[in-house]
Amino acid sequence: MLGYVAKRLLLMIPTFFGITVLTFFIIKLAPGDPALMRVQMQGMGKVDAQMAAQIVEETRKLYGLDQPLYVQYGKWMKRLVTLDFGESYADHRPVIEKIKEAFPITILLNVLTIIIIYVISIPVGIFTALKPQSWWDYGSALLLFILYSLPSFWVAALLMTYFAGGDYLNLFPIMGISSFGAESLPWYEYVSNVAWHLVLPIVCLTYGGFAFLARFARSNMLEVIHQDFMRTARAKGLSEWAVIMRHGFRNSLVPLVSLMGSLLPALLGGSVIIEQIFSIPGMGRLGFQSILQRDYPTIMALTAIEAVLTLLSILLSDLLYAVVDPRIRYGDD
Amino acid sequence: MKKRTIVALLALAFVSCISRIERDPGILVRNLMDDPAHLNPYTNTSAYASQVYAYIYESLLVADNTTLAPKPWIATSWEVSPDGLSYTFHMRHDVTWSDGKPLTADDVLFSVETMMNPKVDAAAQRSGYKDLDHVEKIDDYTVRFVFKRLNFRAFEMAGYLTIIPKHVFGDGHDFNTHPANFSPIGSGPFVLAGWERGRYVNLRRNDQYWNHEHLPRLKGIQYVIIPDSNTSFQYLKKGGMDYSDNLRSVQWVRQTESAKFKERFKKYKFFPPGLAYIGWNEKKPFFADRRVRQAMTMMLDRQKIVDKLQYGQAMLVSGPGYYFGVSYDRSIQPWPYDSKRAVQLLDAAGWIDHDGDGIRDKDGVPFRFELVYGSGSPTGDRVGTILREDLSQIGIDMTPRPLEFSALIKMILAKDFDATFLGWSGGFPESDHYQLFHSSQIDGGSNNISFSNKEADRLMEQIRATIDPNKRKELHYMLHALLHEEEPYTFVYLPPALAAVDRRFTDVTAYPMGFDITEWGFKPVLRYME
Repeated sequence: MLGYVAKRLLLMIPTFFGITVLTFFIIKLAPGDPALMRVQMQGMGKVDAQMAAQIVEETRKLYGLDQPLYVQYGKWMKRLVTLDFGESYADHRPVIEKIKEAFPITILLNVLTIIIIYVISIPVGIFTALKPQSWWDYGSALLLFILYSLPSFWVAALLMTYFAGGDYLNLFPIMGISSFGAESLPWYEYVSNVAWHLVLPIVCLTYGGFAFLARFARSNMLEVIHQDFMRTARAKGLSEWAVIMRHGFRNSLVPLVSLMGSLLPALLGGSVIIEQIFSIPGMGRLGFQSILQRDYPTIMALTAIEAVLTLLSILLSDLLYAVVDPRIRYGDD
Repeated sequence: MKKRTIVALLALAFVSCISRIERDPGILVRNLMDDPAHLNPYTNTSAYASQVYAYIYESLLVADNTTLAPKPWIATSWEVSPDGLSYTFHMRHDVTWSDGKPLTADDVLFSVETMMNPKVDAAAQRSGYKDLDHVEKIDDYTVRFVFKRLNFRAFEMAGYLTIIPKHVFGDGHDFNTHPANFSPIGSGPFVLAGWERGRYVNLRRNDQYWNHEHLPRLKGIQYVIIPDSNTSFQYLKKGGMDYSDNLRSVQWVRQTESAKFKERFKKYKFFPPGLAYIGWNEKKPFFADRRVRQAMTMMLDRQKIVDKLQYGQAMLVSGPGYYFGVSYDRSIQPWPYDSKRAVQLLDAAGWIDHDGDGIRDKDGVPFRFELVYGSGSPTGDRVGTILREDLSQIGIDMTPRPLEFSALIKMILAKDFDATFLGWSGGFPESDHYQLFHSSQIDGGSNNISFSNKEADRLMEQIRATIDPNKRKELHYMLHALLHEEEPYTFVYLPPALAAVDRRFTDVTAYPMGFDITEWGFKPVLRYME
């Protein structure tokens, strides 16, 4: 087992290189660089080409963008080994500081979102599996797929206009994660202030996630329900509830473990659209802005962190398989 | 079920009430599309930071709100040398930084030296000062700017230079990453009071402000960071903020008509410098002829564009100068929308459908071209569609082509385009068109459409070298008439700035360039945080 883990960890190194090299070259291929952005900022038509060339040249030199790509990548990697993500091109602040600011906000949103999605969709899936092809099965599937197909920017705009805007109901705040000055409130009012702010963004982040997980839980349960041990359980006189929960539900959870792998990176990656619309300064907005500004150090730092987390979580879910299912063994052959 | 829903909604309404926080009526709350990266006027790359540091840092002169002419501020008087190349400014002795230290000639010198230092990430700002030779300190409160060549803009360049404190930035710390970029010490009417990334920037009145006469009555400004324009509009409507000056036409005309909105807000409109135009690349066979360019303008229904896209709020213009500045001759009317005259002009220029395929041609070249513009611009899309439709009626095939902005810039700098719809906003009220239209700027300048006209060249050279404002105005008018005739661009419109301001503020005036909030007062009306 340990040998297997060590082997997998070593294999991660070339994969990580592959991911970062690809990202590095792809973002360099995108038209425009921080130097051209300086020109754009001056406004087209007001900058002459000579000025533009001068701005571009001076800025490129300052950031080392005039060097060959492999040199730039090498320098980046060298700094990364010491966990130094460098300085943002946009404001000359350390990239790690910007990530530290955005990180807790996104974690809060995503933890709540994931909990709500699981708590709602797994029971829905289980219960639809108990009565397959019933109106309840079809009805819930239809509803969940309608929700799944609604674009979140549209739902966000509707919710905002009807529940948070100035024209109709004004029940919820429209932006941010707390009111300005909420920090001075007593803690219970602060918590309710934050909770009140989170309602609309969380609704937008969750409703599309139910369908997949509910259908997943349903098909797993359906598979389990016809197994011999279920019949045995009923035969020995257990109550239907005990049969379903203790024998059925538990066994249907095994495939769900594979989904855990996607959780870790999903926790960190923010939703660009929702964070943008609700003015939430999380990871999604940070990533989006750094791409627009061609802020290479920030883009690369985000990619590197996401890559490591994804790789680790894939390993983690492979290991979890072995834990929950005794039939799976690693490295003993 | 219904009862429960009502109870739930009531509970939510209750929750929303208990956590309401009162707002200080003396603090103006407004929006900002994006966080200022930092508040350093020289290394700044964000368009939003300047809206904040404009109240923190100052310059030798300021533009008068009404006449737009430079007037004394930190400098009380000035002299121009007879050759027009050096400008000597006499500064006030009582100007202090917000930390109490005096502002002197050393600070002005330091600001220029910093900007000119190639290690400083200020290439864009530097490029605007390439005619500046050097700055001398005459005494502690007198400085002289010396320029390399005559340029009427030189005086404003010197006078409007942002002054930063030497005793703060000159401490040996790297300028680009200086801590003062995030905690600025300025001489202006406001100081930074708080800043949480991605949420807000707060300014507080500088109670030690040296200029007692112009000490603001407002206690502070809160900039709320809202990247999405629809969100900020909703936030304004529900009363979360007091001010917005970037409303879209449809919002300003249609969506702010409720009695509730009008009771709370007053709407304003003004026209800062700006222009939306179509540039015709004269290197292409179609647009070298003046008659074709005129015909193109007559084929573009500009009034329809303004009515449909801007709800009638933008202003049609006939030249590149700023309508409210000295370089625009208001007696020159824009070309009419007239397809008959356009057809006559095209026929006269030799663009006739010789081969009968429905497309005009000349010397075997069919009149088929592309209009490039920035993607994500609804105006560009609509202008493209309207023009395409009208041109197809008279045998010209035009294809609109949206491009990502970086790609568009590259294409335009390489002069590899037929026609482009572009716009700009901001800039000086007195226009200098030398870079745009002088034939010397075709190679290595920003005359990207390769416009070349001897008479226009001569006028633009004369304007640059004329220091007397009255004479210059005459020359500006002649140039305007000539450019209207030559039509290197189709001048489409001057975009408006559409604003709404909470009625609790008093003495609010919309000047052509915008508001001057240092003049504002306020009534103590209770408002809440939303």
